[in-house]
Amino acid sequence: MALAAVSLLLSACGDDQVSVYRVPKEKEPDLPAAAADQGGTAAPAAPAPGASMADTAVPTASGDGLSWQAPAGWAQKPAGAMRKASYSVPGSDGDSDLSVTAFPGDVGGELANVNRWRGQIALSPLSAGELDGAVTRLDQGGLKITLVELFSAGDPKNKAILGAIIPFGGATWFFKLSGPGTSVKAAKPAFLDFLHSVHPQ
Amino acid sequence: MNETFKQAKAILVSLKLTVVLLALSIILIFWATLDQVNLGVWAVQHKFFHSFIVTAKVGSLQVPVFPGGYAIGGLLLANLIAGHLYRFRLGWRKAGIWITHLGLILLLVGELISGLLQKDFQMRIDEGETKNYAESSRQNEFAIINATDPATDEVTAIPESILSKGTVVQNPSLPFRVVPKAYYPNASVQMRSQVPNAPPSLATSGMGTMLAVTPVEVTYKEDERNVPAAFVELVGPDGSLGTWVVSPLLGNPQTFDFAGRTWKLAMRPKRIYQPYSLKLIKFSHDLYPGTDIPKNFSSRIQINPADGGPSREVLIYMNNPLRYAGLTYYQQSFDNNDHTTILEVVRNPSWLAPYIACGAITLGLVIQFLIHLVGFARRRAA
Repeated sequence: MALAAVSLLLSACGDDQVSVYRVPKEKEPDLPAAAADQGGTAAPAAPAPGASMADTAVPTASGDGLSWQAPAGWAQKPAGAMRKASYSVPGSDGDSDLSVTAFPGDVGGELANVNRWRGQIALSPLSAGELDGAVTRLDQGGLKITLVELFSAGDPKNKAILGAIIPFGGATWFFKLSGPGTSVKAAKPAFLDFLHSVHPQ
Repeated sequence: MNETFKQAKAILVSLKLTVVLLALSIILIFWATLDQVNLGVWAVQHKFFHSFIVTAKVGSLQVPVFPGGYAIGGLLLANLIAGHLYRFRLGWRKAGIWITHLGLILLLVGELISGLLQKDFQMRIDEGETKNYAESSRQNEFAIINATDPATDEVTAIPESILSKGTVVQNPSLPFRVVPKAYYPNASVQMRSQVPNAPPSLATSGMGTMLAVTPVEVTYKEDERNVPAAFVELVGPDGSLGTWVVSPLLGNPQTFDFAGRTWKLAMRPKRIYQPYSLKLIKFSHDLYPGTDIPKNFSSRIQINPADGGPSREVLIYMNNPLRYAGLTYYQQSFDNNDHTTILEVVRNPSWLAPYIACGAITLGLVIQFLIHLVGFARRRAA
């Protein structure tokens, strides 16, 4: 009885109060808060917050590769452990990031990966039936390219993603351009040219 | 009456009760472990261990089906204490048993306190960034920010639980009342143009007029997160200022002017501010040479006390958390191509209890063993 009383008393403390405080002004996030704060977990079916430590043990694809020609204005960045290549794409409202990654197998399939990207910019996930209407499929000399354009709600400067998924040589390659919506929109023709240059090594 | 009391006392001090409770706890742990498949660790802890009764859905009713962790633990505690009061006698020969049982009591009470008071937060810091608050990974708050002052913001934070109850908030810091019109614990927010036949929006101001809010089923899974949304009307002395939609999905706060001041509205993860700030100097993600296999994750952090005390550097890595000012910072994850660290921040006032309890139990067992050993040796010598 005493135990129940104590626990009720303790659990009643604190959580339901309106609080008022003064803090120094902070810089507003460049991304929608949910994407910025939770590492891309915005939608109910999105993956766990942040990059999971366990994920990094997944090897990147080795074997037959793809090669490409990047437009002159793009600045190559160090690729890092997980990326095949990394570019900085200049834009009027801030630079966008272009990443090239490849992982063995189908990496969960097209729908899961499109929804993962949608989650990163706070869009709700698509169902399997909606997928075909939301992507563009290209055939480029035998390479099957699935092109995805994702712009988040609200301000046109909110983060956007142009992505391409290309299954090749037993692996799945991801070409992803992400950055402020207006910059990504302006860089779309260059991104498509860049995709046209992708070919087997 | 006296007879009933005696019977109750006899049950409470009996070893049979101890055995029954231990058996029940084994079943509870087994069942909870199986249910993790459906619910995940977090929800399982609440359903099975941080509860007095475990309920199950029969038809549309929640029916109590099993004693929960608090009930079993509480009865074990009562059983142990009652046993001591009525059965054991004070004396040096039983000193070891007394100390062992005190350790057990501390373990049970410590677990109860951490179950009730432990709070988990998350802190996400980019390299070079300084932050003085952590954010809840489960709870949200509706922040109304008076952004008029060029240097500081006055924040009125209304917990999500108040919005969910529909309670009207009138606070001296606000020149208007906050009237929650609708609240969804999990909802998707899309542009209206993307949702054919969207019902008319309750919102009359801000971004909400362009958005369609669709309630989604609440998730309890560990790797999924509920994203709430709410429609909130602000009512000034001369009538309504408008109805806004707020959700962590909206990103940047919505701004409006009223009573000569600039206001911002945002639903965001609940924050706790600390009287010091942490700066991430460097996040390191070491690999075994020539492979992609991780060897170590670490964050070099600078602690800056707000009162101007000396700052110092610490290295947080896996299994080596930072314990500072009543909070424990664990290396949880990372993001942004190894340039952002994610620390798990835990407040657990009774974190020392299990260590002390295990120490006491060990000490008690050693003492009891030695008492028997010495007695045995003396009898042999005699």
